[in-house]
Amino acid sequence: MPRNCCLHSENEAKSEGRSELIPSIKFRHCCLLRNQRCVTAYLYDRLLRIRALRWEYGSVLPAAIRFHMCAEELEWFNQYKKSLATYMRSLGGEEGLDITQDRKPPKSLYIEVRCLKDHGEFEIDDGTIILLKKNSQHFLPRWKCEQLIRQGVLEHVIS
Amino acid sequence: MFVTDIRKEFYDIVVNQRVALLVSLDVDALCACKVLQALFHCDQVQYTLVPVKGWQDLGTAFLEHKEQFRYFVLINCGANVDLLETLQPEEETIFFICDTHRPVDVVNVYNDTQIKLLIKQDDDLGVPSYDDIFRDDEEEGGDQDSGNESDGSSEPSGKRRRFDEGAIERRIERQRARREWEARRREILFDYEQYEYHGTASAVVLFELAWVMSKDTKDMLWWAIIGLTDQWVHDRITHMKYVTDIAALQRHVSRHNHCNEDEDNSLSIDCMRICFEYDLRLSLYQHWSLYESICNSCYTLSTFKLWSIQGQKKLQEFLADMGLPLKQVRQKFNSMDIAIKENLRDVIEESSNKYGMKDIRIQTFGVHFGFKNKFLATDVVHAAAALLESVEKDESGTDNFIKALDCLSRSNLDQLHRGIELAKKKLMAIQQTVASCICTHLILSQGPFLYCCLMEGTPDVKLFSKPLALTLLCKYLLKSFARSTRNKRCKILPLVMAAPLDVEKGTVIVMGIPPECETSDKKNFFGRAFEKAAESTSSRTLHDNFDMSIIELKMQDRSKFLDALVTLLS
Repeated sequence: MPRNCCLHSENEAKSEGRSELIPSIKFRHCCLLRNQRCVTAYLYDRLLRIRALRWEYGSVLPAAIRFHMCAEELEWFNQYKKSLATYMRSLGGEEGLDITQDRKPPKSLYIEVRCLKDHGEFEIDDGTIILLKKNSQHFLPRWKCEQLIRQGVLEHVIS
Repeated sequence: MFVTDIRKEFYDIVVNQRVALLVSLDVDALCACKVLQALFHCDQVQYTLVPVKGWQDLGTAFLEHKEQFRYFVLINCGANVDLLETLQPEEETIFFICDTHRPVDVVNVYNDTQIKLLIKQDDDLGVPSYDDIFRDDEEEGGDQDSGNESDGSSEPSGKRRRFDEGAIERRIERQRARREWEARRREILFDYEQYEYHGTASAVVLFELAWVMSKDTKDMLWWAIIGLTDQWVHDRITHMKYVTDIAALQRHVSRHNHCNEDEDNSLSIDCMRICFEYDLRLSLYQHWSLYESICNSCYTLSTFKLWSIQGQKKLQEFLADMGLPLKQVRQKFNSMDIAIKENLRDVIEESSNKYGMKDIRIQTFGVHFGFKNKFLATDVVHAAAALLESVEKDESGTDNFIKALDCLSRSNLDQLHRGIELAKKKLMAIQQTVASCICTHLILSQGPFLYCCLMEGTPDVKLFSKPLALTLLCKYLLKSFARSTRNKRCKILPLVMAAPLDVEKGTVIVMGIPPECETSDKKNFFGRAFEKAAESTSSRTLHDNFDMSIIELKMQDRSKFLDALVTLLS
């Protein structure tokens, strides 16, 4: 369609006898195309980042991030989530396989973590509650800690 | 109660449970914590680690975690006070206490269900026997009996009267016996609790647990060595005990060294090697210049009296006597001439004998891994203590704990080097403070003890608001003072030191150490003395530290507290 606009403007100029405007028209057209490319690149980059958010934060995005997304982007995110969930369910037999966990090959079942900020109480699989206070260290199952490590609340201690 | 088989009664119980580790802030506790963490990682025991600075912190940490944990392991805290009374735990909570503080409170010793002491019983404990302190009250019934008899009757017949008299006599007799028993009990408890001292390092106890389970590694052995050396550096154990424990650890070191070294498969240079060293008593000398180290180590500082001009001259003579050029000696140790470094220890030992320093060398251990990394146990102790009590801005107590804990791992060498730099600053500050205190005669004899008070504006006085740094300062100061004073009586007095703690709140930290003596048994009576003096003058004190001989005091109450202390100890 942009090309049609350009041709249309050119034809108008020729019919009105002002062919000296044709270079300007062509130039303006190139500028518009460039702007369009920039905007498309920006939007596409946003999309890729939104996709990465699913892998980093999980299914529920923090409110601060949702605030910066427009409705169409949220819609896209939901579609992507559904698509990923369908794919994961199709793997690994009946239950499906959660491939968003263990993105690096795990070395051990339990890891030592250090708390970087006060997070309050945290529940682990067998129902017990752990108080996460700044600078306390804990030895916990790895899969429970991954989420918090990604959020920056806990830090994996390698000694 | 004391645990007899530490593996069955402690480790096998916690291995399937989640445990809360409450760790005190000193280097031995850090090392014990590292050993225990390594064991827990091996067996995947889930735990939570919380550092505690004093009794208040311990109480807070316990309250925060008591809903979530049933098993608590306390390292270097909790043995010397009635724990159940202080913390008021539920019936099912069980405490495992690995503490060097002695005397162990009698209630902790005789409680069979909730308190398990991970303490070696051959540690010369002298706990009073059960019957001397606790008495099952059977004669309550007897008293009531006689009471009933005396007011139950409405008709005193002749027989009844005689019976009554007999009952009254027996009651009087029982009461007298009971009063005697109570007086004896008070005396026994007073004798038992009068002197504070320290037992075997917690790191060594936990290392032996690891050894019993055949899960000990060289890293754990190194941590045990550091724990023991920490006790020696901060003057908590006698020389005899230090040497005995070193011999025990030496057996472990030989065992580990023989496992791997072989003609055919010798270890790579990057592997960790621990070796026994009969090394010099100069703090941090391999990471400093020899001259600086001699100037800032307690032993040489006090022998040469380096705060005076004559002392400096003597030092120059000493160096000349050994044939060490000043230029070499002021260089970084690693850059010194190899020819000088080779026989350095023997040369120094020979010359020090002439200058009255008979034991310039001490048995210790060193570790090296890689080509550059060689550390003595004392180096690591100084570094960890400096990191633990660093007073730089924006560093809270728990931040420092984490850093000090990290510096003990071999993978955090930059943290260790940072600690060594801080330790150098600390030692220099101590040396300058000692010099100024002695030159300005700040140490006064109060009769039964010496007293020294650091003023607000003294340089680096912030460093000495922390217990470990203050301990080192007191030790250096007392040793130097004992050498420099001419008054024979003052040489054998103990020292009480006060340093400003918090200017806004107007508090000072007060600490007492036993007298300086070759054969001192390091038993400190200031804990109880401080308590009694504070009570009698109702001074506003805070006995928060796990060591009873370190307290906080309001500045205004200082003089009346001191007067009470003088009266008490005269």
